[in-house]
Amino acid sequence: MSRRVAITGLGAFSAIGTNVEEFWRGCLEARSAVADIPAKWNDFHHYNSRVWSPLPALAKSSDLVNDIERTKLDAAAVLAMETAAEALRNAGVPFSRVDTKHNIFALANTDAGRAGVFVGTGVGGIGSLLSNAAYHMLSPQPPRLQQIAKTLASSEQHQESLRTAERIAADIRIPFRANPFVVSMIMPNAVSANVAIKFGIHGPAQTNCSACSSGTVAIGTAFRAVQSGAIDTAIAGGVEHLNDDYGILFRGFDMARTLVVRGQQPFRNDQLNRPFDRDRSGFLFSQGGCGVMVLEELEHARARKARILCEVAAYSETCDGFNIMMIEPKGRQITRMLARLLDSAGCAAADVDYVNAHGTGTHLNDAAETEVIERVFGKTPLVNSTKSLLGHTIGASGALGAIVAALSIRDGTTHVCKNLDNPIRDLNFVRSAGSHRIRTAVAQSFAFGGHNAALLLKAMA
Amino acid sequence: MSESSPSNSEIYKRITSVVAKVLDVPEDSIKPESNYVNDLSADSLDRITLVMALEDAFKQQIPDEDLAQLTTVGSTVAYIETKLAAKNQS
Repeated sequence: MSRRVAITGLGAFSAIGTNVEEFWRGCLEARSAVADIPAKWNDFHHYNSRVWSPLPALAKSSDLVNDIERTKLDAAAVLAMETAAEALRNAGVPFSRVDTKHNIFALANTDAGRAGVFVGTGVGGIGSLLSNAAYHMLSPQPPRLQQIAKTLASSEQHQESLRTAERIAADIRIPFRANPFVVSMIMPNAVSANVAIKFGIHGPAQTNCSACSSGTVAIGTAFRAVQSGAIDTAIAGGVEHLNDDYGILFRGFDMARTLVVRGQQPFRNDQLNRPFDRDRSGFLFSQGGCGVMVLEELEHARARKARILCEVAAYSETCDGFNIMMIEPKGRQITRMLARLLDSAGCAAADVDYVNAHGTGTHLNDAAETEVIERVFGKTPLVNSTKSLLGHTIGASGALGAIVAALSIRDGTTHVCKNLDNPIRDLNFVRSAGSHRIRTAVAQSFAFGGHNAALLLKAMA
Repeated sequence: MSESSPSNSEIYKRITSVVAKVLDVPEDSIKPESNYVNDLSADSLDRITLVMALEDAFKQQIPDEDLAQLTTVGSTVAYIETKLAAKNQS
């Protein structure tokens, strides 16, 4: 008989909550964090989209990751470690420091060789890359500009050119240093490697990089590793932390016309993000977030009397093989993925009570996704989009969506699909966070690149 | 400042504190003549980490090419004192 895989612990960090229970309360209260984009970004460009969802600031130091370590780590890696620690604590897996110099911990009562780490990320340490690139390119420029300014200042006829030179000087923001650890900060695998190092884990440590489905793929890959017998315990999830002093990443999505914009309707900032609504205009750019689960082989979890939230019953993935940025409009490979998911779980479509949708708020995604949901599941299951609250957290989004699905099963409720006034299809969108019968849930993600991934979670029988 | 400079200066104390934290050694085991590699068991990554921690502590950049000057605690105190004095004069 195939091994079963239990979820025994969760951790989350998001714009609406810095731990999993605060995040979940924020979801049920339909909270969002929407702000004007940083004023400094406007020094470089005029963007079509004007809002984003910033994260709360990370601590400068903690018992788990001290200030010395943080000088050598990208924020994404720090976030992955802190959130993994929360998930381990909630799973009842204690850890203690075994190396004070390097601040390394070990998990109690865990065979480190049969534990693995699977973390998804879209762009890994992009903030460190941008910061070090800025230092590298810009640090020689101020003395050169000063030389030009000196020459221009000597002549009345060059006053306008002088003002231009001064403007250029004012726009140059040079980070404090070129970091000698930059390579190990920017490599995407740093997010999983640092979790493995921090907790002394010696099984597989994989980084799953498939843009917006990275977190789902990471949890799915971890599920398969536990189910197959390769390991007994997995720390799995997704992370993104987009530090960007110049608005470069935001501009990339903005140029591609993927972000929310102000249209004809007089929406407030917190109403612009409207997945599955007739007046949707794109996704809300999020600074990121992190979601982490502890997965365990069921008997392993029972043997240590762990609290079991629910089980991962199946995972499936396909690729559109169609376009690098555009979802295949008929959703054929998504449909095939969901059929395989149900088959693998031994479920009928009618067994699915709730779909945590990808639900970005872009025209094409939402049109294709709602058509697929109705085709596969009909109109009965509850449907919501966690991105209607958080915006798009890229590599973290699939993990946060899966966490919402697990908590929805645990508590028999889920969050509303925010700002949904005029649905584009007659599905059973969640309109109130009241009591809902949720025993079986699907969490699905799609991505730039055509990477489709879905998890099926079930209440424990 | 030479390596025989007084070990009770404010800068010496701050540097000792940073060295103790980065290298995980007791502060009272650190002397002005302590060599990072030979006496305090620092490896090459420790030395780079130490330089970044000193940069942050003193808000003072330390260029790569100056790393070779920072072999002992005393030479580090002398280096930082010189840098801070130059900054105060500019």
